Amino acid sequence: MKQIVKLSLFSLLIFTLVMLTACTNSDSTKKEVKPVKDKEKAGGTEEKVSIEFWHAMSGTGQESLDEIVKGFNESQDDYEVKAEFQGTYEESLTKLRSVGGTKDAPAITQVFEVGTKYMIDSGYIEPIQSFIDKHKYDSSELEQNILNYYKIDDKLYSMPFNSSTPVMLYNKDAFKEAGLDPDKAPETFAEVIDAAAKLKKGEMYGFSMLTYGWFFEQLVATQGGLYVNEDNGRSGDATEALFNGTEGQNVFRFLDTMNKAGTFGNFGTNWDDIRAAFSSGKVAMYLDSSAGVAGAIATTPFDVGVAYMPHGDDAERNGVVIGGASLWMSKGIAEKEQEAAWEFMKYLTTPKVQAKWHLDTGYFAINPKAYEEADVKEKWAEYPQYKVTVDQLQDTKANLATQGALISVFPESRQYVVTALEELYQGGNPKEALDQAVEGTNRAIEIANKTKK
Amino acid sequence: MSGLSIQELWRRTLNVRTASLYLFPSILLFIVFVFYPMFRTIYLSFYLTDQNGNAAIHVGLENYAYLLASSEFLNSMKATALFVLYTVPIGILIALFFALLANEKLRGIGFYRTMYSSTMGISVAASSVIWLFLFHPSIGVFNRVLLTIGMPQIQWLLDPQWALVSVSISTIWMNTGFSFLILLGGLQNIDQHLYESARIDGAKYFYRLRRITIPMLSPTLFFIITISLINAFQSFGQIDILTKGGPTQSTNLIVYSIYREAFINYQFGTASAQAVILFIIILIVTILQFKLGERKVHYQ
Repeated sequence: MKQIVKLSLFSLLIFTLVMLTACTNSDSTKKEVKPVKDKEKAGGTEEKVSIEFWHAMSGTGQESLDEIVKGFNESQDDYEVKAEFQGTYEESLTKLRSVGGTKDAPAITQVFEVGTKYMIDSGYIEPIQSFIDKHKYDSSELEQNILNYYKIDDKLYSMPFNSSTPVMLYNKDAFKEAGLDPDKAPETFAEVIDAAAKLKKGEMYGFSMLTYGWFFEQLVATQGGLYVNEDNGRSGDATEALFNGTEGQNVFRFLDTMNKAGTFGNFGTNWDDIRAAFSSGKVAMYLDSSAGVAGAIATTPFDVGVAYMPHGDDAERNGVVIGGASLWMSKGIAEKEQEAAWEFMKYLTTPKVQAKWHLDTGYFAINPKAYEEADVKEKWAEYPQYKVTVDQLQDTKANLATQGALISVFPESRQYVVTALEELYQGGNPKEALDQAVEGTNRAIEIANKTKK
Repeated sequence: MSGLSIQELWRRTLNVRTASLYLFPSILLFIVFVFYPMFRTIYLSFYLTDQNGNAAIHVGLENYAYLLASSEFLNSMKATALFVLYTVPIGILIALFFALLANEKLRGIGFYRTMYSSTMGISVAASSVIWLFLFHPSIGVFNRVLLTIGMPQIQWLLDPQWALVSVSISTIWMNTGFSFLILLGGLQNIDQHLYESARIDGAKYFYRLRRITIPMLSPTLFFIITISLINAFQSFGQIDILTKGGPTQSTNLIVYSIYREAFINYQFGTASAQAVILFIIILIVTILQFKLGERKVHYQ
């Protein structure tokens, strides 16, 4: 017994020592690093200005981005960008919250589109517009439909970067088998319901959609419906969610009809699962991000068709809202670092870089001139499906609905929508499920407005 | 006179002073890593927080009132209770069964002992990813097997009826290794003479199990039940990877709900209130266990 007590006390002591030394160690390294950094800043013209770039791209996106960053670093001698993967969009935003507005903040952070309102309100950032004005940069050469989302009161706060929209992918072989025209995808909700019924066969469901708020928002927007009041949160702070109106109910009825008919396949909330279901022939039509088109074409053994998002039966097609992420410049860092960040952002928007980015990942080129590049044209000739995604974006009508909603509590609202969709798939009442999601969103908005400084 | 009494006091408190010197390192660590966060949590639970997580508006007990009235939170509590009920008893019974098997002295038993405890060496994240593939709706092994034997397929993680069961199955698998190891250690510590005497008296295996093994193992069992209960209440990793709390909130256990509230929604106020409620529940369960369970524990 005594032995054990002695032993445990001893190990506690060791543990304490390790903890304490670990703490002091990290302190001392911090102190060592700082003077070096200061020297760098004071070192004048010969030293390179080095900045951090936090991003959330993994897989092929990360590979491509690393190559682009390398290309930038080699293209000039004044600046060096260090790209650092910080986890998912949510995770990197959480990290940014702890350093935002201080000297330690990264010069550039990639933040997802629904974080736009939060970033503007946060006070961490320098609006890109001030650099556009200062350097007389011509932002009109960028894709207007993308700028539409990120421009608020005609001011661009962040530089759009990876942008995507939803599209409908379908299995052309299954269309042929079911006696449908493989070159003409169903366009309206009613047509999709009909086609889904014809396509349902054995193990294959007719239609599916990832249980994710984004797709719901898109289906509402394409009917011209608003997500929240105050002009979708663009003329003031939104106070109330509107997505349980006619347009939202249409979407829920559309899904409910197919679900009750047994032609809707539910593959959950994971992107990989629904993609696997499509490529293994478990579902004939589904909604995916335009950034998923490249992967779908590569991994499926059959012919993949890409079509516009289905729209409401009575309303005309309004189009799609931009998704993805944009790049934000930090406030409170050295001016030189801001300059470096600006130079890097400008480099990113060049047609060549955008062409590479588009081909590597399937994200849109934010500079439409990229589509004129030879390798893009070549790829488009081979896979006309790529072009559909761009056409859909350029056919989009610019209005409040397709500009997309601006609320700071978007991530929370999406969770409520996911819960509502899941309840719907379990046979719940569409209207009640939707009302509950609105109620939750309203409470979140109310708290956010109350606690806003 | 007064100088003398100070000296006296100084001498009398020698033990206290020595003790506090020894305790100082651990108290320091506790303050930094346990007490400060705990009081901060309690403090935040009385506030609404702004978007950066700073306390903004004092609301008193409103967060608690909101939670106790919210169907979402009550559902979370129910799911957590069910999860504990599914995982703890079955997990311990399986571990006990394996431990009894592996306690036999046979050739090559070391191999089986390693196998049975091997799940302890796999992190929650890694094993969750493995289970994610096993449960996969279209390419998962389980559904393949069901298909070959002509049974209807199950939407393991997508059907609200099944999701909690599926998560429980994977949790039991993950935790068995640790419980097994502790129980085996307990079994190995039982004095062999007891068995010898029992054998001489002609006691059969199950009689020995009931009258010797279980009573002698009771301190270890008590320990592992307490630890498993607390672990089950605090499960997070497998939920995050397998279901993210879905479908229809059926696997939204309290800790996951706290995480979501705090780090996705940035409502640190309600998240803290949930954490305090969880703390109280675990405290009550543990006290109850010590009051009721410990009577049956036989210490040598």
